[in-house]
Amino acid sequence: MGRNGFLRKDRLEAYLNNLSKKGGLYVPKEEKGAIVFRKYSGVSELSLKKPATTPAKSIIYLQSETFFRFMFEKEGNGLDKVNVRIQENMDQEIRIIFGARPCDAKGFSVIDRVFIDTDTQDVYYKKRRENSYIATKSCDSPSSGCFCISVGGGPFDEEGSDAQFTEINGGYLIEAITEKGNIFLESELLEPGETYLEEKRKRKEEVERLVKEYCERVGKIEPLSPKLRLFSDEDFWKKHLSKCLSCGVCTYLCPTCYCFNITDEKTFYEGERIRSWDSCMFFHFTLEASGHNPRPDKFKRFRNRVGHKFMFYPERYSGQIACCGCGRCVRFCPVSVDIREIVLELMKSEEGGRE
Amino acid sequence: MNWDHYMEKRRKPLSEKGLREKISQILKEVDVVISWKMGFDPIHATPHFIRDEKEIEESVFNVFCVHNLTTYLPFMKEKVGIVVKGCDSRTLVQFIQEGLITRENLKIIGIPCSGVVDVKKIMEEIGESPVLQAEILDNSSLKIRTLDGEKFFQIDSVLAQKCKTCRYPTPLIYDHLIGEPIKSQIGWDKAYEDVTEFDKKTLEEKLSFWKKEFEKCIRCYACRNACPLCVCQDRCIAESRDPHFVSQKLELPEKFMFHFIHAIHLAGRCVECGECERACPMGIPVKMMKKKINYEMKQLFDYETGINVDDKPPMYTFKVEEEKIKEHEL
Amino acid sequence: MSQENKRELKIIGFLCNWCSYGGADTAGVSRFKQPTDLRIVRVPCSGRVDPLFVVKALIGGADGVLVSGCHPRDCHYSDGNFYARRRLEMLKRLLPFLGIDPRRFRYTWVSASEGQRWQRVVTEFTKLIHELGPLHGEKEKAFE
Repeated sequence: MGRNGFLRKDRLEAYLNNLSKKGGLYVPKEEKGAIVFRKYSGVSELSLKKPATTPAKSIIYLQSETFFRFMFEKEGNGLDKVNVRIQENMDQEIRIIFGARPCDAKGFSVIDRVFIDTDTQDVYYKKRRENSYIATKSCDSPSSGCFCISVGGGPFDEEGSDAQFTEINGGYLIEAITEKGNIFLESELLEPGETYLEEKRKRKEEVERLVKEYCERVGKIEPLSPKLRLFSDEDFWKKHLSKCLSCGVCTYLCPTCYCFNITDEKTFYEGERIRSWDSCMFFHFTLEASGHNPRPDKFKRFRNRVGHKFMFYPERYSGQIACCGCGRCVRFCPVSVDIREIVLELMKSEEGGRE
Repeated sequence: MNWDHYMEKRRKPLSEKGLREKISQILKEVDVVISWKMGFDPIHATPHFIRDEKEIEESVFNVFCVHNLTTYLPFMKEKVGIVVKGCDSRTLVQFIQEGLITRENLKIIGIPCSGVVDVKKIMEEIGESPVLQAEILDNSSLKIRTLDGEKFFQIDSVLAQKCKTCRYPTPLIYDHLIGEPIKSQIGWDKAYEDVTEFDKKTLEEKLSFWKKEFEKCIRCYACRNACPLCVCQDRCIAESRDPHFVSQKLELPEKFMFHFIHAIHLAGRCVECGECERACPMGIPVKMMKKKINYEMKQLFDYETGINVDDKPPMYTFKVEEEKIKEHEL
Repeated sequence: MSQENKRELKIIGFLCNWCSYGGADTAGVSRFKQPTDLRIVRVPCSGRVDPLFVVKALIGGADGVLVSGCHPRDCHYSDGNFYARRRLEMLKRLLPFLGIDPRRFRYTWVSASEGQRWQRVVTEFTKLIHELGPLHGEKEKAFE
């Protein structure tokens, strides 16, 4: 545990103004109909009451980014020679995220394992991750559909956050979790936080109890066994997924989804290489150049999504489930497909269905 | 807003028992019946695919049944039975006009509807707190109990936007009708008031309005995928790489381009079922663009989508002499 | 430089191969002077013009778009321009809803022998676009 500090609510604006001088400050803002992370511009639209519509993921793992630009140039006198000049686009901006939730931050730890803890690192993501500082707000109550405790998270979970702040006693108790988190405590507006630790501990117990009670109907989710017979049963998937629209909202709002596509976009003599999010729910996801598609049906695609989050990823990364339990996929699905229901049924079938 | 005088009959309790009996009856003639059942919490319904007698028990019909179930039909090859509200039935008529479904393979149960609620609005009012219980009281108010306590809503105040200007509460096409037909008193002008009012703004105001709205867009394509009439989703030019029509960059010009593509490909086909706006996670008023095009379709060609099975969508056909299009002044 | 002696604006023209392109050719052969802002794209028929071409042009950097085809009842393919008429009229009415000045888009009918009319159409349209001003800034696009 690092240092801590207490910020009175009426000092929030001044505090954030100071923080915004240290780098690009992103906070959740209310924008008619949705809460999105935008660059800080005053506390009037700041919204911390409920989790943002889109997770903080899009600030560090950009939805669409240019890797590099390339230009074809003729080389001097040699008319038959064409050079390709490449201009790299490495992002150096410091990003400070204030107001994400523990579930959002947990998503980063899932993505980090794939993009950073490997011998084929994604340098673009890594650079941005190193230059970012995340302060999460602990939850005061569960949101409709969330189940963080069931997948090993929690309303006060610290994984992935650099600092955490809890709303108590007319202010916020800010605690640094990593070395980087100390950036949030470098302010003269903060009072010593020791006296509030007890209050926070009580609040943590209370909220954890509330969330646990709400997650009771879901229970604990364990990684699925690869030998699950029901997993290959087409009728099971058809029964649950006939209503799916393959709309992709679940993947775009998920803090742990990280699939992407790389496209070279060229006009005559110059172009860019762009990496953009892809969604496993779309037909195009597995469409091959020959025209063949190994997953033409939406059932197969959703099965892949469940499998990836609850079976293949844990298998590859020592049991960590690639889901943070934020509940956005449940809340925002236009037809209310409930991934919890499906996973629970698969888990229960394990008792009788191992091959 | 008191809209008592817009609807001839006030919300009447629907006989869910009558609905279930009817479903049971048609299940003998079809392979699957698509209806609704309650979803992950008491204020969310979800589409229910019934293949077995046992599954009929769960079907419901109430103000939470917001989905347009016809969106599944163009891709289904089996004999299907379906439950539709007034707005949904327009989609069926449009499908028949375009040849996207076979009428003989379809059995339609129509339910005259007095309106459904905007679930997102309710969720916002309760602060997205988990809902433990929901009750409909005398068909005009809702009692919702969440972890934070109880809240009462007048159904009229949380009614979906599209229901406030509904002109076809009774299905236009059906094999069986459950309940009494309802007539709407809303005229065409009233229904398109939002379009005409918006059009009065200056060009700069309109552009900056759309720029602000599209800034939120994340190009998740939920609006396109939820639309029952967008049947080429898997091959949409907004996404395809060959031809590469729209860049993968996530900037305003590309977002404008996607919304133009979606609206123009629905010209003369959109039935205003509102699924696009409902599916949008960012709350963008995507239906407005299509409503504007429908307004023009009526002005230019006296055509309304989804009313008559014998009509032809105006963009598929032509007249040698067009009354409403000025020709030689160009 | 444009005839107006100002910065040359980008006006894209979609001309049908049989009538309008021929008409533009006639204008050229007869040495009729026209502003040089117009950049022509030849299509087989005005019915080939998808309203999205016009939208993409406007969003992508054009300051104005002109579509020209055979006169109705005179289409080389019999009915292509009937479809075009419907689609383009729809588009013309949709553009102001999004805040784009509908005068930046124009569709007209010019036959192969109407060289003089072509010259008039191009001159008038270019003049109009110059009056409306550029849609996009020198460095920045309008929809950003």
